[in-house]
Amino acid sequence: MSDTSAAPEARSGSSATHGSAKNRSSFPLPDLDWEPARGYWEGAAAGELRLAFCGSCGAVNWYPKPTCGGCAAAGFEWRAVGGAGTLFSYSVVSHAFLPQYRDLLPMIPALVVLDEVPGVRIVTRLVDADSSALACDAPVEVVFRALRFVGIEGEVVVPLFRLR
Amino acid sequence: MSGTVDWGYAEAYDDVSGEVAIVGVGDADHTAASGRTTKEIAIQAVERALDDAGLTARDVDGIMYAPFMADQLTERDFQAHFGVSQDIWVSHQGGGMRWAATAPYEAAQAIRTGQASVILNSFAVAWATQRGDMVGGPGQAHVDELYKQNLEVPFGWFPQPVYFATIARRHMHEFGTLPEALGAIAVACRAHANKNPTAVMHNKRLTLNDYLSKPFLVEPFRKEDCCLISDGGAAFLMTSVARARDLRRPVVEVAGVGLGTSYTGTHWSQQAAFTSTPQVFAGPVAFRMAGITPSEVDVFTCYDPFTIVTLMQLEDLGFCAKGGGGPFVTSTNLLHDGGGLPIQTHGGLLSHAYVLGIAHVGEVVRQLRGTAAAQVPGAEIGIYGGYTGPQASTLVLRRAR
Ligand SMILES: [Zn+2]
Repeated sequence: MSDTSAAPEARSGSSATHGSAKNRSSFPLPDLDWEPARGYWEGAAAGELRLAFCGSCGAVNWYPKPTCGGCAAAGFEWRAVGGAGTLFSYSVVSHAFLPQYRDLLPMIPALVVLDEVPGVRIVTRLVDADSSALACDAPVEVVFRALRFVGIEGEVVVPLFRLR
Repeated sequence: MSGTVDWGYAEAYDDVSGEVAIVGVGDADHTAASGRTTKEIAIQAVERALDDAGLTARDVDGIMYAPFMADQLTERDFQAHFGVSQDIWVSHQGGGMRWAATAPYEAAQAIRTGQASVILNSFAVAWATQRGDMVGGPGQAHVDELYKQNLEVPFGWFPQPVYFATIARRHMHEFGTLPEALGAIAVACRAHANKNPTAVMHNKRLTLNDYLSKPFLVEPFRKEDCCLISDGGAAFLMTSVARARDLRRPVVEVAGVGLGTSYTGTHWSQQAAFTSTPQVFAGPVAFRMAGITPSEVDVFTCYDPFTIVTLMQLEDLGFCAKGGGGPFVTSTNLLHDGGGLPIQTHGGLLSHAYVLGIAHVGEVVRQLRGTAAAQVPGAEIGIYGGYTGPQASTLVLRRAR
């Protein structure tokens, strides 16, 4: 039988990369105990936008994978980066694809390119925005806000973005 | 942008042109929630494919399916249902999506080496029936992948309609693509479904004005830009071209196959060529193998979960330049009898059924036999562009001489 590894979305997956959302009561808040992204949430709690960089070659490692996509070294470090960037793309969502999204509608999930780290895109949500005033490549800046979902206990401070 | 960035690769396929034919095609009933199980649906499609080919279950010695999708028809299910016990070669490289295009390549290898002679590929879903519990549904794999679960879902970047609306928005920004272009694709799909009694949307009309007046679901998408959720399935049977000549249907042969892969997998947010599909890698392999150019294609079908995915594949497969998809679909007649480039002639995932592309292959076969519901006059060459996101595949089918 041939290899199916090139089809990640189709695999049931390993415990390192897959975990049932249904079994985690804080979903869809991020899991603060999930090691690969821990530094992202710690940074946000401290008011900093931190990304993972390869401990060996220094390349940005986003999403934070166990090994560097450039030099294949294991291990990465979290480093604060500037919160200015541009709006790469976005959509205006008016349907609650998860019931927990209901009170956030309409919401504007977005991809942002940071001025300091142009090679990767940050998945985020735009806030304080009039959707009719948006355009791709518009300048944006990070803000740190507590994320809450209806019916879910607790909150997590996360990096969101607004027009600048 | 996509031309200068290394973001994926083509599989090194050897030439299987003219070796394999698709000799039987069958669709299960495509419906709203039906209460049927996935395997019951698959069996109905298989029975119809066997009947179409004039073969029996005893003739089948190869079975392909997708084990990573819930409840697909296995060799044991097949043997139990049909009461047969012959040795069966099994491949897990079957099913819909990109595999509906590459299954014939795997089948060619098995036929060459004598491992099998008549090979069945099937795929079915009961997602309309299962709707609501998310078990096995289209969003499940994404929500359970931990990078997406932690770094995308909390921000509302989930599920597929949101990913592809974001891609569509960027395409509009980079290339000036208009809502009318997305609408033209949705309208062509619907017009073909209106001619096809097996289509879920057979009785529902859609004009461009209707499309433009619909509310946004995930702007820039309206509901009409998004695939259906339905219960259904399809199956097709493959054998050597030599053996196909002894069977009852006009011979439709596999002329070319290609497979391309993006390095970033389902992490679309990081895909360097954000508004492209891996068809840029797969297409040239398949067209070269078939010895044709896109201009020789009479019928175009592709995996079309969203209008923008059809638009991007038209570009990436070379039917127009990158970024030219908008003007192409608004200036080309997309209908089966319009003399332009007929697309999704059964209605596609948008208006026929959401069976992940396997019914597209059956549709191309019917077109090349001359028996489709919305027949393209004199069609000789048709393609199916398969897609999973991380991968894309191209299947070129040709009416054998
Ligand atoms: Zn490195």
